[in-house]
Amino acid sequence: MGKNYDAIIIGGGIVGCSVAFELATRGMKNILIIERKYATSGNTGKCGAGIRQQWGSELNATLAYESTNIFEHLEEYTGYNHSCGLNQTGYLLIACNDAEWRQFQANIPVQHKIGIKSYTVDLEKDIFKIVPHINTDGLVGAVYCHEDGSADPFHCTLAYMQGAKRLGVEVMTYATVTELAAEGGRIKGVRTTNGDFNAPLVINCANQWAAALSAQVGDEIPIVPERHQAVITEPVAPMGYDNGAMPMVMSWQRRFFCQQTLHGSFIMGEIEAVPTTASDANWDYLESNCHTITTTLPALRSLRVLRHWAGHFDMSPDHTPIISFSKNAEGLLTICGFSGHGFMIAPRTAVMVARKICGESDTIDINKFRVERFKSGDLLLEPMAL
Amino acid sequence: MRIENHPILNFERGEKVTFFYNGKEIEGYTNETIVDALHAAGIRKLGTSPELHRPRGLFCAIGNCSSCFMTVDGQANMRVCVIKCREGMKVEEQHGRGVVRYD
Repeated sequence: MGKNYDAIIIGGGIVGCSVAFELATRGMKNILIIERKYATSGNTGKCGAGIRQQWGSELNATLAYESTNIFEHLEEYTGYNHSCGLNQTGYLLIACNDAEWRQFQANIPVQHKIGIKSYTVDLEKDIFKIVPHINTDGLVGAVYCHEDGSADPFHCTLAYMQGAKRLGVEVMTYATVTELAAEGGRIKGVRTTNGDFNAPLVINCANQWAAALSAQVGDEIPIVPERHQAVITEPVAPMGYDNGAMPMVMSWQRRFFCQQTLHGSFIMGEIEAVPTTASDANWDYLESNCHTITTTLPALRSLRVLRHWAGHFDMSPDHTPIISFSKNAEGLLTICGFSGHGFMIAPRTAVMVARKICGESDTIDINKFRVERFKSGDLLLEPMAL
Repeated sequence: MRIENHPILNFERGEKVTFFYNGKEIEGYTNETIVDALHAAGIRKLGTSPELHRPRGLFCAIGNCSSCFMTVDGQANMRVCVIKCREGMKVEEQHGRGVVRYD
C-alpha cells in the first residue's frame, strides 16, 4: 500500500479546502487533499457567489452569520495576498405572494436573535433607495439585509488552499478517488487513479459525487444533484442607489436572483430547478430568465449576455447540509448536501468540523447534521433554500 | 483623411450627413461607420479604459473587441466600428464603464 497520512480529504472545492485549513491550524499534520481536476473545478467554480444571512432556520442563519464574519477578514485569516472580492451590497428579497411574505416576516425575529441586521422595506419609497429602477408591480413586500453580498469563489477557495499548504497540507490535483478502502468496520484509506493512500480519517467533501463514494461502504446519503443555470452580462457602471453596485434581488415565485458584481457585470441565476445530472446550459432557460428579470428590473433590458453556464446543487431532503460520521466504516466523515448554499456557509462549517475532530467544544451541535436525522425524523427544515 | 481614388476598390459612400461627436458637428456618409467619420476628422481617441483610464482607440475595427465602445444616442457600450452614420446622431466618448440610462 501507498503513503500514510493522518487525514485524507476528497474534493478541492470550498468545503474540502476550508476543512483542510481549519484542521491544519489546529495542529493536525500529514493532511492530503485529493482533487479530481483543480481547486474550484467542480461546483464551487460554477456557483452564483452569493453570501446571504437571511435564512429561515436558526441553524442555517447562524452558520451564514458566523461565516460572513470570517469572509469579512478572510485574507488576513488565511494569509492570502489578494482580495477575496467580498462585496457587501446586500440582498433584497422580494415577496410576490402572501405565503412568501408571511415566511419573510417570520424569518426576521429568528435573524434578529442571532444578530443579523435584516429589516422590512417599504414598497412606496424605501425600496427605491435600494434598487432605484425596480418595477414594484406584483410585489407584496420586501426584506433587505445590507451585510449580505457576494465574494469571489475562486479567490476564497485558493485562499484556504494556499493557507493550508503553508501549514503543511499536501494537495494532489488531477487524481480521482476510485474506491474507499475499508476493513473490519474501519476506514483504511483510498484508491485513486494516482495510487493508493492510507489514513485513519477520510473526509468526503465531493459534493454531488459524495453519495456514490460513501455508498461503497454501505452509507446511504440521500442527496440529489439539481442543475441550476446562471448567466453573466457585460460590465456597466454601478446601477444601485447612490452610485453603488446593484444589490442582489431575489424572488422565489419568479424563480430568479440577480446581482451586480464590483466589476460591473450582472450575475443572474435560477431558483428551483429539476433534478438532473445533465450539465448543459440551454436556450429555453436563457430566454425565460431574461424575460422574468427584465420584468422586475426593466433597466437591464439593454445589457448583452456574455456567458451562460450550468452547475449543480447537491440537494438534501431538508435543504440543510449532511455532516455525518459513517456507522459502517469508522473514520469516514461525509460532508455534503449543502443544497445550494455551500459556499456561503463553508467557513463556519469547516470550523465546526475541525472542532469536532480535534475534540474542542462548539456552540453549534454538529450531531444535528447526522444523516440519521432522516430516519429519526429530526429534520432541519430550511424554508429559504433555493 | 479619406482615400478618394483606389486602383481596385470603388467607394460608394452614400449621402453626406452631419452628426455630433461630444457636441461637436462632424460630417460623415451613410455607408460609412461612425469611426470612419471620426478617423477622417482626425479623432483617434474614442474613450478611456475603465480601470487605468488609458486612452482607447480602434483595435480590431471589425466588431470583435471592446476597444471602440462609445455611447451612441444614449446607449452605452456601442461598437462604433460597425455602426453606420445617421443624420443628427449623438456620439459621446465613454470614460470608464458605460452608463445604462433608465427612466
